[in-house]
Amino acid sequence: MACRNTTYHRPQSIAEACQIAGEYGIRGRFLAGGTELLIDLDSGRDRADQLISLRDVPDLCEIRIEAGELRIGALATLSAIATAPDVVRALPALREAILTMGGQQIRNRATIGGNFCRAVPCADTPPLCIAAGARLEIVGATGARTLPAADFFVGPRQTVLDRSEILTEIRIPVPPAHSGASYQRFSLRHGMAVAVAAVAAVLQLDGDEITSARVVLSAVAPVPLLVGECTDLLVGRKPVPDLFAEAGTIAAAAAQPITDLRGSAEFRRELLAVLTPRALNEAAARAKGEAA
Amino acid sequence: MSEQVLITLTVNGQERAVAVEPSATLLRVLRDELQLTGTKAGCEAGDCGSCTVIVDGEAVNSCLLLAVEADGAAITTIEGLATGGELHELQKAFVKLGALQCGYCTPGQLMAAKALIDHNPQPSRAEIRQALGGNLCRCGTYPRIIEAIEQRHTFADETLDTKPGPHDERDQKRDHAVVGQSVTRYDGPDKVTGRSLYTADIRLLDMVYGKILGSTVAHGTIKRIDTSAARALPGVLAVITGEDVPDIWYGVSPARYDERILATERVRYVGDEVAAVAAIDEETAEQAVALIEVQYEELPAVFDPESAMAPEAELIHPEDPRFAGNINTRVEWDFGDVEQGFAAADCIREQRFVGNRTYQSPIEPHAAIARWEHHGERLTVWSSSQAPHYKQHMLARVFELPMGNIRMIRPPVGGGFGAKCETTPLELCAVVLARQLGRPVMMKYSRREMVYHFRGRHKQYIDMKIGVKKDGTITAVQSRILLDGGAYTSFGIITVYYAGSMLPTLYKIPNYKYDGYRVYTNLPASGAMRGHGVPQPRWAMESLLDDLAEELGLDPIEIRLRNAMEPNTRTINDLDISSCEFKKTLERARDESGWLEKRGQLPPGKGIGVGCGGFVSGAGYPIYRSDFPHSNALIRVHEDGKAVSLHIATAEIGQGCDTVLPQIAAEELGIPYDWVWLAECDSVLAPTDLGSYASRVTLMGGNAVKMAAAAAKVQILKVAGRQLGCDPHGLTARDGRIFVAEHPELAIGWDEAARLAFSESGPVVGTGCYRPPPGLGGKYKGAAVGTSPAYSFATSVCEVAVDLETGAVKVERFSDFSDAGTVINPVTFHGQVEGGIIMGLGETLLEDTVHDDTGALVNPDLHGYLIPTISDAPEIESHAVESYEPHGPFGAKEIGEGCLPPILGAIANAIYDACGVRVTELPITPEKILRGLATQRQAGSKLSDDRP
Repeated sequence: MACRNTTYHRPQSIAEACQIAGEYGIRGRFLAGGTELLIDLDSGRDRADQLISLRDVPDLCEIRIEAGELRIGALATLSAIATAPDVVRALPALREAILTMGGQQIRNRATIGGNFCRAVPCADTPPLCIAAGARLEIVGATGARTLPAADFFVGPRQTVLDRSEILTEIRIPVPPAHSGASYQRFSLRHGMAVAVAAVAAVLQLDGDEITSARVVLSAVAPVPLLVGECTDLLVGRKPVPDLFAEAGTIAAAAAQPITDLRGSAEFRRELLAVLTPRALNEAAARAKGEAA
Repeated sequence: MSEQVLITLTVNGQERAVAVEPSATLLRVLRDELQLTGTKAGCEAGDCGSCTVIVDGEAVNSCLLLAVEADGAAITTIEGLATGGELHELQKAFVKLGALQCGYCTPGQLMAAKALIDHNPQPSRAEIRQALGGNLCRCGTYPRIIEAIEQRHTFADETLDTKPGPHDERDQKRDHAVVGQSVTRYDGPDKVTGRSLYTADIRLLDMVYGKILGSTVAHGTIKRIDTSAARALPGVLAVITGEDVPDIWYGVSPARYDERILATERVRYVGDEVAAVAAIDEETAEQAVALIEVQYEELPAVFDPESAMAPEAELIHPEDPRFAGNINTRVEWDFGDVEQGFAAADCIREQRFVGNRTYQSPIEPHAAIARWEHHGERLTVWSSSQAPHYKQHMLARVFELPMGNIRMIRPPVGGGFGAKCETTPLELCAVVLARQLGRPVMMKYSRREMVYHFRGRHKQYIDMKIGVKKDGTITAVQSRILLDGGAYTSFGIITVYYAGSMLPTLYKIPNYKYDGYRVYTNLPASGAMRGHGVPQPRWAMESLLDDLAEELGLDPIEIRLRNAMEPNTRTINDLDISSCEFKKTLERARDESGWLEKRGQLPPGKGIGVGCGGFVSGAGYPIYRSDFPHSNALIRVHEDGKAVSLHIATAEIGQGCDTVLPQIAAEELGIPYDWVWLAECDSVLAPTDLGSYASRVTLMGGNAVKMAAAAAKVQILKVAGRQLGCDPHGLTARDGRIFVAEHPELAIGWDEAARLAFSESGPVVGTGCYRPPPGLGGKYKGAAVGTSPAYSFATSVCEVAVDLETGAVKVERFSDFSDAGTVINPVTFHGQVEGGIIMGLGETLLEDTVHDDTGALVNPDLHGYLIPTISDAPEIESHAVESYEPHGPFGAKEIGEGCLPPILGAIANAIYDACGVRVTELPITPEKILRGLATQRQAGSKLSDDRP
């Protein structure tokens, strides 16, 4: 691996980790699951010579519901999240999103914190968290802060974190009654393939009226894209397929996709026009308590 | 070097303390420090899963886990799966059910499966797919892996003997004792335990590691190479460039030796090999090549055959005037009179089809080791090779050694599919470096390097025209094909001929014209890949036949039946078809696949399609002119008569020849299968065999084995006859007994007779050889390519579901009907068919190596180059439609390659049936299907607009 000539640190606390990270600045990287970082270091896409392992930092793997929030420690592995009873109960769509990612071996090592912090545009856990109104807990050398997940991403592989900061927890409000979520993802292979386009949707209904709606797109913009126009369109309306199709058109227009190996920008927009209504339909069905 | 860290790992229950570099992955520590080489490196990027181990109860990719991070962990590797000498039930089930072929991904599959059943003892199929989705198998054993996990308990109490596995009722049986039985794979137990030593697993005393530097430009001349920084790196032992290697052109076909061991003057594609290093370890060698500086003067580059043929295009091989216009090989064939044929047609279809540059993607990367012996007079080379003989021949030529001074050893090969046929700079540089250093040198390609080295499928640009009468009878076929050859010839001369010669083997074509152009481009060289040259033209023809059938209102199977090849036919291009049950494969496909109920009856988005194909059972002529028999075998009966050694130098690459050939030996000798030992893969132990290409081993190797066995048996029967007081000609040997055919009670043990024979006259040895019938083929130029002693035939029916909104295709089901002659081993036969279908599915829907405008590959990996996973594999029902091939051992012919060509057309035709879209450019991606649907809608709305 090209991350040779690296120094390895294994801090025992968050404070120590932040301190080491602060010391080395751009030369340092936090090592969690490593499933993306090691590949990026090997390919030369990322460069660093100080690896700061978080494996011994306590209390960052917990998954629990507390005070109306689903709290997921940043070091919780994708497998742990997908099988956690609290997740399955509160936000099954998160489990579904996770099961589209990598293979079992990757999910056993990769962490949700890593999925956020590596900040690749096609990451699969952030869109649903953003749609569900998640907040992120961040600790740094100079203190702690909290911010909406929607504000975390700056660009491809860029976040608001400074070098000494660690994302410690993702806090997702437990979806209230009559709400539903869905994650619809398109990839070129049945498993082990990154998303070409994906849509997360969270809806809340009051009777036959949508009272809140958030649609977040993945893999079609530099960052996960919360489409405000979709919220504007949907709230106060009846959850019917025609409306969802219209939301799809809006989502397709709002996206800023690129053309790459996996598909053209145009294709990605077409996919959004299909995936968005599918996500909204499923979210609505779940909000109504229908099996979906 | 950074400071090493001392860690403790509990590996398979044993505590191990080891000092590691912080950057060392668990994979490399297991393999290199702890010598646990059962864990395999396939991609070292988390894409293939072959390095899967269990860490604290969870399956992980050991290539993506730093060893320091595993400090204190309990690790189970494949070596720890069997307990107390008893195989785990999963291991037994894998062997018994044929859930492994080349075996390279198998340790990873087993560890993923073990972690799954530890968590969930009764997983559903969906859960199995979910848990094993990260384990790629290029041989396509997925259906059998699922079966093995589900049925593992059945095998818990079995000993892994060599008795026949479960009998498959679908297969016809002749009166054979061993042939036709699904005996346990000979190489199975070693492959499920991690004991099989693939080339990269071999550790020789004093061995050092080499690495090759590839060009960064697609076309250019080398101005300067500075190796000083590389030489200065501690641990580097040698650095070589084109100046340090024999000044000779080499390649595959003598008519086109156009490759240099390392580039001397010119580089012709990104990745073209330029320099090499040897160092004390792999990591140092990797670092060192990156320190070599090369200055190029860039030349204009061309990346497709049409641009390459343009008059203004830069010549890629100016050294040889034959390659004017960058045309590497030109074929002009004209059989019958196509003009007249088209004139007589009632219906003509013409279409351009464009194929893809698919890569074989074996999970095992190429590896080679060279060691000089006897003070430099002799050379031993270990190579992951499909055709060790050709490498031995080429090494002898390049290094000016008698072939006999080179010992070729072929360890188990982790898949080839054509990628590992030819001599590579790995072997050549290893030999040069080993001579310089006086130490053994191991060289390997990384995943990226092997894709750059390529020798994958030629992308073909096919203009095909077919004319038929109203009843569907073909009157003429015309085909003009440009093949993107890449920078070197490789097997390409043969490819361009195969692309033309095989079309008339399946259907009776009275008039046929073929224009083939294999063209140099500045891309990695194309070579031979499973179904060599045939799948893309076959896809074109199968697509056109469906279009013609539609136009004429004929059923697609009916139009094929009307033109189907029949036994004992000489084709228009002078190929001799002997056994042929093609019609029967079509009829059974029609009657048993649900075709009649489903065709035309499925809802929108669902489709059913048919595709046909076949292949040669070995090439009629070798790659270079030689009078040697193509296959040679030697059988030695052991002293106690309870065992025989079969010495044959064929190449087990997963296809099962290490099982099928001992079966043939046992059948002919009249002994049980488990009496046979294989002494192969070493040119000192076994006489030459041309190798595993052109689907030749069962027929050619099998014939040589059968002849050797017969020669040994005669000697035993002679003694038995004397003991029984009867004429040896009236004796039968079967299952280890020799008896009078008319009076079975008059018998003697085979071993007893053999022991007596040895006691009287010493070793009982039989030899056998096989060469194809002389004079195969016609007299025209290129007539040799396509000749074979026998041909296979297959009809495959495919069912798909197309998502009409996204264009996504799910291949749901395949029913395959293949005529491979007598089936020697049903499990390996069906395994080949299933694997061919899954690989064909990848080629049709997923795969393409893509380059950017500098000629650099965008996806030289298993992340962007997608091959099918366990979740992509359809349900498959494979049926043998047996014929009796007079040229084959016990009537057998090939299956390994002929099973692939039908698949592309079957899927394409099923997609057309599902949604009315005919995509004429591979791979058939969702995006292309959506484009087709959009065009269809526009045409439809135009139609309604036009209505009054």
